[in-house]
Amino acid sequence: MQATKSFEQAFLKQMLLGIQLSAVSHGSGSLQERKSAIKLSADVAMAVARGSKKWTRGLIASLSKEEHNRSFLQFVLGKEFERPAKICHSSWKIPRSKNIVRRSLRFLSKRKSNIRAPNSSVLAGTLVEKRTQVLKRLVPGGQSMDAFSLLDETLDYATCLRAQVDVMQKLMTTLEASKHRADSDAQRPKEKFHLLAMVGSWYSTRKGLRKRLSKRPKLTL
Amino acid sequence: MSGRGSRITDEEINELVSKLQSLLPESRRRNTGRVSASKLLKETCSYIKSLHREVDDLSDRLSGLMVTMDSNSPQAEIIRSLLRS
Repeated sequence: MQATKSFEQAFLKQMLLGIQLSAVSHGSGSLQERKSAIKLSADVAMAVARGSKKWTRGLIASLSKEEHNRSFLQFVLGKEFERPAKICHSSWKIPRSKNIVRRSLRFLSKRKSNIRAPNSSVLAGTLVEKRTQVLKRLVPGGQSMDAFSLLDETLDYATCLRAQVDVMQKLMTTLEASKHRADSDAQRPKEKFHLLAMVGSWYSTRKGLRKRLSKRPKLTL
Repeated sequence: MSGRGSRITDEEINELVSKLQSLLPESRRRNTGRVSASKLLKETCSYIKSLHREVDDLSDRLSGLMVTMDSNSPQAEIIRSLLRS
């Protein structure tokens, strides 16, 4: 499964805006601070570009737990950030969860003997249960998900992560290339145009971003 | 998930599992047999962890690149042009 081009475009734009906002490029702050700011920009950009999924909400929620992230999140997300999180009435999910885990196991497992158990106690302590817990910690918002949602969200999250890595890699290659180019007149437009082509049809999303940021003072790079 | 009703079909689970399987980097080498739940979960967790490490590493390297960026540098110009386009 591949992330769409429009996702990669939106992600790149959002990340670069975020980096500008956090004034990383001004060179102030320690290396660690700059790295954290870039990582924050990248993660927020990924969530914003993807839209509304359980993992995106989980990611924003966990990022906002850290005090030093709040002003950035407020700035980027605006009203959406201030809205109180929906209270999740998850009590109805529990019976369904047991059923789905059983059925998933029935489908996946070569050993069928342990599927007939009427309750989930046979699953506790098994390798599957332990690894499910690990996965729940890795996927943002995973703790409150039933088994099916977890798999569904994992697929989506991993796809977006892959795209995040790819775009950041391309950005880095482009910036590195321009750094070398500064020493000579040799033109290396290839990487830059690749990135530009990727963000080519950004006009439709730019209006939305600009509207959100229009009231704020413009930072110059 | 909304609008799906309370029943999730076996087909849906089937599709989800095979999509997850094909996402994983090692799945190309493996023949298309069913993989166990524990193995799938283990590889998925490994994959996500490695992606996290890559993002962390790239953030590191990007921050190193951007420290030298003043508003006249080519890097700054690239970022501006990416945002303009």
